[in-house]
Amino acid sequence: MTVTNQSVLKVAGMGVSYGGVQAISRFDFEVKQGEFVAVLGPSGCGKSSMLNVISGLLEPTRGEVTVNGRPLYGEGRQDPKLGYVFQNHRLLPWRTVKQNLELALASSDVPRERWDRNIDEMLRTLHISQFKDAWPLQLSGGQRQRVSIARAILVEPSYILMDEPLSTLDEVTARSLREELSAISRRTGTTIMFVTHSIREAVYLADRIIILTRGPSNVFEDYSVPIEKPRDYDDPRIGEVERDIINRVKGVWGMKRTERTEDH
Amino acid sequence: MKSDDNWAMRAIDRNLHWSLAAVALLIPVWWLAFRTTTFIADPLVVAQALPEFLANPETWSNIGITLGRVAIGLGCGVLAGTLAALAMNRNRLLEQVLRVYVISTLRTPSAISAILALAIFKGDEIGYVFVVAIVTFPFMTIGLVDGLKSADRELDKMARIYHFGIVRHVRHVLLPYIAPFIFSSLRNAHALAWKVIVVAEIFGAARTGFGAKFDHAWEYMLMVEVHLWLLVFMALVLFVEYGVLRVIERYVFRWRDRAAS
Repeated sequence: MTVTNQSVLKVAGMGVSYGGVQAISRFDFEVKQGEFVAVLGPSGCGKSSMLNVISGLLEPTRGEVTVNGRPLYGEGRQDPKLGYVFQNHRLLPWRTVKQNLELALASSDVPRERWDRNIDEMLRTLHISQFKDAWPLQLSGGQRQRVSIARAILVEPSYILMDEPLSTLDEVTARSLREELSAISRRTGTTIMFVTHSIREAVYLADRIIILTRGPSNVFEDYSVPIEKPRDYDDPRIGEVERDIINRVKGVWGMKRTERTEDH
Repeated sequence: MKSDDNWAMRAIDRNLHWSLAAVALLIPVWWLAFRTTTFIADPLVVAQALPEFLANPETWSNIGITLGRVAIGLGCGVLAGTLAALAMNRNRLLEQVLRVYVISTLRTPSAISAILALAIFKGDEIGYVFVVAIVTFPFMTIGLVDGLKSADRELDKMARIYHFGIVRHVRHVLLPYIAPFIFSSLRNAHALAWKVIVVAEIFGAARTGFGAKFDHAWEYMLMVEVHLWLLVFMALVLFVEYGVLRVIERYVFRWRDRAAS
């Protein structure tokens, strides 16, 4: 699968304020069909607010968000069909793996007759077939996060948002999941927006990296990763790009500004 | 993975050992009390009278009447408590208003609730049901409000993102989450329901029901009968607790057991 020119998600002039304190100053970016976009920013730069806005949960103070050309808020709004992988898996512990996946599918447009086949295939792809009838508490952190990824993909969303999904895992597990994520995104062509603190992770996974400033944040740079896919995590070029990005953001992330605006 | 085996039987088995041991421990205590006091009946005599007592259809009809009053009253209390808790969780004004009623009923002595209800309903059958409902409702409300307030907001967020809708959200996310609070409140309410129904049946001069028969036996100093009714009462309360509530609880929380195994 390749990236197309069709815009899935478009954010124009988006700003968010809480009680007079600005969290996001202004975001403008676009995500194309099949793209893997990473979002990098320092702590407190408004990444959570951004995710809430583009998942349809928080109306921005200003600006527009459109999904497949239709507004996410205001007149003519549509609920986004999206998958979400949380930092913590957010599986329901009282439902088995399969039941968790079925519950998400029951609320999606995927026809019932395809559920079993799709679930089996996805669990096989993520190497967790044997845990289909297990309870989430019986799984390791990495296995739970795999189920969470499976849930996000199975609902056949317009795009998937991933909020630092590998940050709580040990490095070995995280590394293996990164490889699987990269392979799945290439094979399924799912549009993914991946928030992370790890520059190397962003460089390894993403076609493009949206780099944010400190809060109240702006888009500092829209950075295209100049390495063809598939990539090797130990490729020295990844280290070079990582260093390049560090040099670019060093000054910006070191600064701290505070601004006050009108109430949200 | 383990397939679903007979969870109900395992639950009963696990409970039964200790429960029987606890009951058995009461026998020597009872015997000592019989030897050292005036009004305690001989456990042996009570045991001999038990088969005939249980074979009497009147015994079961009186148990059934009290059980019915408890079940309907508790059902109404649970319903009222659930509705009040949902209202209190949704609206701050309603919370302030309803909290007054909840605290008032919670702090009112059960005996006073029983007398008032029976006076209002003039000893009618509905009075007994009302007493149980009014006494159990605040326990359900308080427990459920605590549960609703502690509901996992991140799971709510997940449910909204995946468009679960209100029915799936309540059934698959909210209810299982607050289930421990429901069971805890239900257990307290159930225990209180049995206590208060006996008081109500005695104060209300009921002609039927456990309390009425107990009171009658006590009035005429039929001590063996008093003990028989007490035994039946204990057996009934323990059966509902271990044979019904705990079995349901174990089924609802079976995912915890499996995860721990």
